[in-house]
Amino acid sequence: MLRDDSDVNRRTYLKYVGGTAATVGLAGCSDSGGDGSDGSDGSDGSDGSDGTDGEDGEQLPEPETREEHLQRANLRLNERAPWIFLNRQYSVYGIASRLDWTARRDERIEAQAISVTEGEPSVTITQSSMDSGLDPHDHRETPTDNIVVQAHDGVLGRNADGDIIDALATDYERLEEGRVRFEIRDGVTFHNGDELQPSDIAYSVNRVVDSEVGIESPQSDQLAGVTGAEVVDGGVEVTSDGINPIVFSLFASYCKVVQQDWIESRDSSEINSDMNGTGPFQVVEYEQDVEIVYEPYEDYWGDAPEIEELTIRATSESSTRVSQLLAGETDLVVNVPPQEVSRVRDEDSTEITAVPSTRVIFNAMRYDVEPFSSPEFRQALNYAIDLNSIIENILQGFADATGQPTLEGFVGYNGEVGPYPQDVEQAEQLVEDSGHAGVEITLETPVGRYLRDVQIAQAVASQIDELSNVSCQVEQRDFASLAGEVTSGDIENMPHFYLLGWGNTTFDASQTIIPLLTSDGALSSYRGDEEVDELMSESQNLPGEN
Amino acid sequence: MALGRFLLKRGIQGVLVVWGVVTAVFLLRFITPGDPVTFVAPLDASAELRAQIAADLGLDQPLYVQYVDYIVGLLQGDMGYSYLRGTEASTIVLARVPATVELAVAATVVAIVIAIPLGVISATRRREPADYGATLFSLVGISTPNFWLGIMLILVLSVQLDIFPTSRRPIGLFETFAFLVTVENGLAAPMDVGAFLDGLWTWLWHIALPAVTLGTYFTALVTRLTRSGMIEELGQPYVRAARAKGLPESLIQYKHALQNTLIPIVTVLGLQLGTLIGGAVITEAVFSWPGLGTLVIDSINVRDWPLIQGSLIVIGTGFVLINIFVDALYAYLNPRVVH
Repeated sequence: MLRDDSDVNRRTYLKYVGGTAATVGLAGCSDSGGDGSDGSDGSDGSDGSDGTDGEDGEQLPEPETREEHLQRANLRLNERAPWIFLNRQYSVYGIASRLDWTARRDERIEAQAISVTEGEPSVTITQSSMDSGLDPHDHRETPTDNIVVQAHDGVLGRNADGDIIDALATDYERLEEGRVRFEIRDGVTFHNGDELQPSDIAYSVNRVVDSEVGIESPQSDQLAGVTGAEVVDGGVEVTSDGINPIVFSLFASYCKVVQQDWIESRDSSEINSDMNGTGPFQVVEYEQDVEIVYEPYEDYWGDAPEIEELTIRATSESSTRVSQLLAGETDLVVNVPPQEVSRVRDEDSTEITAVPSTRVIFNAMRYDVEPFSSPEFRQALNYAIDLNSIIENILQGFADATGQPTLEGFVGYNGEVGPYPQDVEQAEQLVEDSGHAGVEITLETPVGRYLRDVQIAQAVASQIDELSNVSCQVEQRDFASLAGEVTSGDIENMPHFYLLGWGNTTFDASQTIIPLLTSDGALSSYRGDEEVDELMSESQNLPGEN
Repeated sequence: MALGRFLLKRGIQGVLVVWGVVTAVFLLRFITPGDPVTFVAPLDASAELRAQIAADLGLDQPLYVQYVDYIVGLLQGDMGYSYLRGTEASTIVLARVPATVELAVAATVVAIVIAIPLGVISATRRREPADYGATLFSLVGISTPNFWLGIMLILVLSVQLDIFPTSRRPIGLFETFAFLVTVENGLAAPMDVGAFLDGLWTWLWHIALPAVTLGTYFTALVTRLTRSGMIEELGQPYVRAARAKGLPESLIQYKHALQNTLIPIVTVLGLQLGTLIGGAVITEAVFSWPGLGTLVIDSINVRDWPLIQGSLIVIGTGFVLINIFVDALYAYLNPRVVH
């Protein structure tokens, strides 16, 4: 039955689901880092394609489950090489040794998970910028998220590994296609003492997805496909367009719960300068652009935080953040750049904590323009790159090489697909086979948007340029204008060959592949691959584990 | 009376300059790549949603309509709403002004306190060790990039020696004075001198390194100016006459020569103060000082045009006001310029 509906639903899914990753994708981060680990599985990159046209999938059994569909799509994409697959970024934190904390893969810092082993039970976190307002539904960036999540819970949540856990919902189930139900936790109170009602959760969902309710939330696409919520028999039922296989995953990452009465009785500036959530910390003091101070909420429904005072501040300059940490003025700093890592490691009182992030860095190639329309040429560029050298020398080991758009640990990651190995002879032969020998190409890269983006682009271009039959140069671009071309909706406006980063905190392959690598993807540079389109369409009509 | 006409003329010129700044800043948006809708809209937003957002931001109107709306708004103190934060741009921009002014003034004070005595000593002890030392200091000060100096000061004086804090502005100067003017139930309450002194100390402690960093180049510049001005003045006939009259050397140097030397220095001080207000970006970033410079940079990164425009207009207006003030001071010190 689901297969029969796939054509009807496909466009809807591609449209809505594609939006989710877009929310966090290009938003990017300018200077996160890594932990010095030596890359991922170090597999040999064998992909079986070897310059063929990528029809190898015919020999494989038909995928059945949703995850198998996604894995097959990743295999196909590795073979067809629509990108030069580069690396997975790491989030690198500097932390005072007196703290015990495990970094999360979704870049969020939940202070409840911090414990103090020595000294004052107060913790200061310094990130790169402060919030853009405290309305939990009226922002899109990680720094604001980090400030909001201390005071607000979601319907579901994630642990440090990204697994879905209960939060304000104690149980959840799929009732039918397009309808799921959440059972709401009893005895939860907001910081003003009022008890959480199921209607508050329904209101929160509707405030995000429905512009008629309160605000036009920039997070509407984070709840991709969700059309609304209502209270039914003491629980909350959420409706979606179609089956929405990742609906629980979306609620684990997005949609903080607010109190309807509290929100409706305040104007925008009041909502943006205070918080009334159900989270482990409540706001004591807030000074816009300067700092926010919290204390534990005594009636919190979950485990009480171990720290007694939490302060979040911002310093944009990374070297100053590190100096603050070394001087003992702060306890945890974000985005320690690779060149600063040794300063933190060398000090007894501080250490580095790093975790693979949800962001992949790649060079997209437009499928509809020469020479990138040739799969052989695209594969050749992948073979030309020495990923390990880039990771070791430019990112100082703080990244993992990848050979597919989906990162390890995500639903749909294909463990059989490794990074392309560097093979210059193979690359030159493939260029000859493609009929584009002697071509000159330009790699466009944003400046300062992603960790060492320009240096990575220069290394890639230099390695391609070393091929005897291809010339490559780098063009540095302002991110806004580059992103404007990529997001214009018209592939004709897109650059032919460009570096980009893509974050995906849903931990699901579809949220990377659909927007970036399918025919209907809003930001797709690779269209017309019916096999990928079909696999993704079918995957979106199969129930997932989430 | 002549001074009044002079200032009126300068005032009218200043208004025209500010209007020019406003217009230039407004037009800048249309010649700079990067659509603000890109940052506000979801990245895969439909054309309809983009159009809706553009309409909400008023970006769908013809240029002249947007311009007139903007000018009318400005005259009413309305700089529009921040695209990203959704709050009034004027509130955000004006909140950053005290930090920037404090830093600029503190850097200027550092420059004056160090540079003028140093320049005088250097000029009056030419070719002596003090002169060589001052000249070397000037050369190093002018040659040192302030981002490097700032980071070095943090590393040495904050991280290694733990004398100064690395960064931040936990309290503003105006806030510290608020402890002296407390009001309870509509009545003046007793001054909290202890809190005032604590606040003032905290402020001084935190502004010291940024002020030195920002003021070093300025100090070196003014030292050289003072030295060359003093040397020139000390060679003037009136100085010889004063000496012949038997006036004490200190009186000749500080009362007569220095006063004449100060005229060009005041001009440079004024111009530099204006520059410091808009040009402290790097120092603000290194020391996490929440001023206009960092606001401009942060806003440019996300194409938050109301904040960019508002900040630049405030900086431009500040520059014009300082110049008018300097002109007035100049006219006071040397009445001939009025004519």
